[in-house]
Amino acid sequence: MTLAINTGVGTTAKLFSAAVISLLSCMLLVSCSRHNAAPAAAASQPPGIQYEAHIAAGDRPPTGSHLTNPFRNDPATVKNGAALFSAMNCDGCHGADGSGWVGPSLADGRWRYGGADEEIFSSIYFGRPKGMPAFGGALGSTAIWNIVAYLKSLPLPTNVPTESWDDANGAAP
Amino acid sequence: MQVSGPVWAASSKADVEDGQWSMPSKDYAATRYSALSQITRSNAHGLHPVWTFSTGVLGGHEGQPLVVNDTLYVVTPWPNVLYAFDLAKDGYPLRWKYRPAVSPNAIGIACCDSINRGAFYSQGRIYYNLLDGHTVAVDAKTGRELWNTQIADMAAGETTTMAPLVVKDRVIVGAAGGEFGIYGWVKGLDASTGKILWTGRNIGPDADMLVHADTFKPPYVEGPEQGARSWENASWKTGGAPVWGWLSYDPELDLVYYGTGNPSPYNAEQRIGDNKWTNSVLARRPSDGALIWAYQFTPHDNWDYDSTGPMILADVKTNGGAVKALVHFDKNGFAYVLNRATGKLLSATPFVPVTWAKSVDLQTGKPVLDLSKQTGVSKGNVRGICPSLEGGVSPASPPAYSPHLGLFFTSTNNFCMDYEATRSAYLKGTPYIGANSPYSAGPGGHLGALAAWDVAAARKAWEIEEPYPSWSGVLATAGDVVFYGTLDGWFKSVDATSGKVLAKFKVGSGIVGNPITFRGPDGKQYVAVFAGIGGDWALLAGDARSDDPADVRAPMDMMKQIARHTSQGGMVWIFGL
Repeated sequence: MTLAINTGVGTTAKLFSAAVISLLSCMLLVSCSRHNAAPAAAASQPPGIQYEAHIAAGDRPPTGSHLTNPFRNDPATVKNGAALFSAMNCDGCHGADGSGWVGPSLADGRWRYGGADEEIFSSIYFGRPKGMPAFGGALGSTAIWNIVAYLKSLPLPTNVPTESWDDANGAAP
Repeated sequence: MQVSGPVWAASSKADVEDGQWSMPSKDYAATRYSALSQITRSNAHGLHPVWTFSTGVLGGHEGQPLVVNDTLYVVTPWPNVLYAFDLAKDGYPLRWKYRPAVSPNAIGIACCDSINRGAFYSQGRIYYNLLDGHTVAVDAKTGRELWNTQIADMAAGETTTMAPLVVKDRVIVGAAGGEFGIYGWVKGLDASTGKILWTGRNIGPDADMLVHADTFKPPYVEGPEQGARSWENASWKTGGAPVWGWLSYDPELDLVYYGTGNPSPYNAEQRIGDNKWTNSVLARRPSDGALIWAYQFTPHDNWDYDSTGPMILADVKTNGGAVKALVHFDKNGFAYVLNRATGKLLSATPFVPVTWAKSVDLQTGKPVLDLSKQTGVSKGNVRGICPSLEGGVSPASPPAYSPHLGLFFTSTNNFCMDYEATRSAYLKGTPYIGANSPYSAGPGGHLGALAAWDVAAARKAWEIEEPYPSWSGVLATAGDVVFYGTLDGWFKSVDATSGKVLAKFKVGSGIVGNPITFRGPDGKQYVAVFAGIGGDWALLAGDARSDDPADVRAPMDMMKQIARHTSQGGMVWIFGL
């Protein structure tokens, strides 16, 4: 069947290099001690989080733990996350650069299941009901935080809600 | 043997037209031809909508309704609701609807939208597949579920989008998943109980493929274990070969024909060899699944050229006499004619611009490759490959065949592509692909067409160019009117002899379904079709979707204006005079 990744411009070559394999072997199942040493508490904390987008009955949100991405603004982490996004086949569903395919766009600044770091973490770790696999078992927390950092680094389009057409710009298609 | 002269015998379909549409492709020969003739070239201009129904479902509405015993049956995309409308009553109210439990996980495992390609009626029952890997049998009168069998494993990337084929007491089904590294198969189920009686793999060892030395006679290769030996490093284990298209059947030869999809992954250098029997036509005995012959259209696929489009059975006269033939319009851009008893190739002619191969050698059955269009990680970004991986025609868009005109009618896509393969790692339950492949318009700049193809003369009889890729199936009728729909939402009635558009109507969404025709209880001929764009996220519905505020996409460069003309939304349309 036909599955074209990013049929528009700006294709992102997959970086399945020795470095990525090494990164993967480092990140699969166990946290890597040599690189990206996450605070032990963050990496092992159960991601039983609250969802900021949910409405709380009686305006009284339940108590729940909060997770913080320990790598958020680290460029090396973003780079690792980009490599993992490709190596773990995330782009196969979400498109190169997270531009959307079978799975929703991750580059529009909008989130089905919440866009806080811990919410994105939870979506990757536990999966989601419309076919998003749970990667927590395969990847572990550290690698998932890398992917979260990468997704949060994606540039957002300047005008998301409006799409307009101008006949002066040429005929169909 | 060359096909010579436009002399065609009658097809193998029954001569008596019952005015119904009981199986996906109208008949076992997959002609999508009806002998109904009330709608003609002279009166088709008066066609107008007489009834519509919203399915309430947004997924791409591929496939087609059925009409049996004055009842219209409609299967929706996921969640695969089955509706039964009473055509004998004013307004066609429902007799019943059947709402199975279908896992929402299937939406994300199906590579290319939550589509369903239709149901099959046989002996009082409706058989169809649920997207999450189940086949069901439903009583056609009452809507009661008779059995529900799990046939596929979503955790391994398998989903079920194809329409079953019922032959005698067998229900034959297959699974999609060429983007997930599945180990592709077809299965034969007991029509009464749903029990799986046999499973035949499309790739792999002979024992798994139901290959028996005494009965398997492929025309161009010899020796055992073809399906395993043609894959380096046992790469057949995650080699794809899905079955998501159309099946046909020759009752005299007792052979079921179906096409297999692409090998996994898209990076061909991870699976050196011919990769048999991906991108092939396979002929099996329906009773026990034994493989009788196979022919591979695209050995060692470098370009995602699935062969899951229909194998249309037509009897063709050649200079060697009458031949029971099989005609197939492949994604790879060639129109093939094969002897359907032996699998021997009779002719192969490009029906759209083709650059990956120069021709097909009729002696060896193999394509003569243009080596500069070979892809793989070591090849870098290979430019100017035609057709694109959307196919010269999408297998989801089945052609029609008019036996009395000797013409085939097919949608086509006019895309070329660049192809940059990347290494892909198999991780069960996730995509296994490895290619970036941006498209560009082929020669002429239009992106699609409806073409009338004269197989005997190996040329186009006429063509209607479309601004967008043409993604609907085609219906041919004895009134010499053919019907198809467009991505921008036009339903068109066309003079089969000239290509002149006789009538057109703008429906509510782009058409990726297949028109059918039937005789209503009032004795009048009607034409029915689904509207509802989808079936290929990047190409068809990227920015045409409006249902999810958390998923807003930029338009595809190639088709910046498609969302100006259509959005998602499934409707059933019926037209009459």
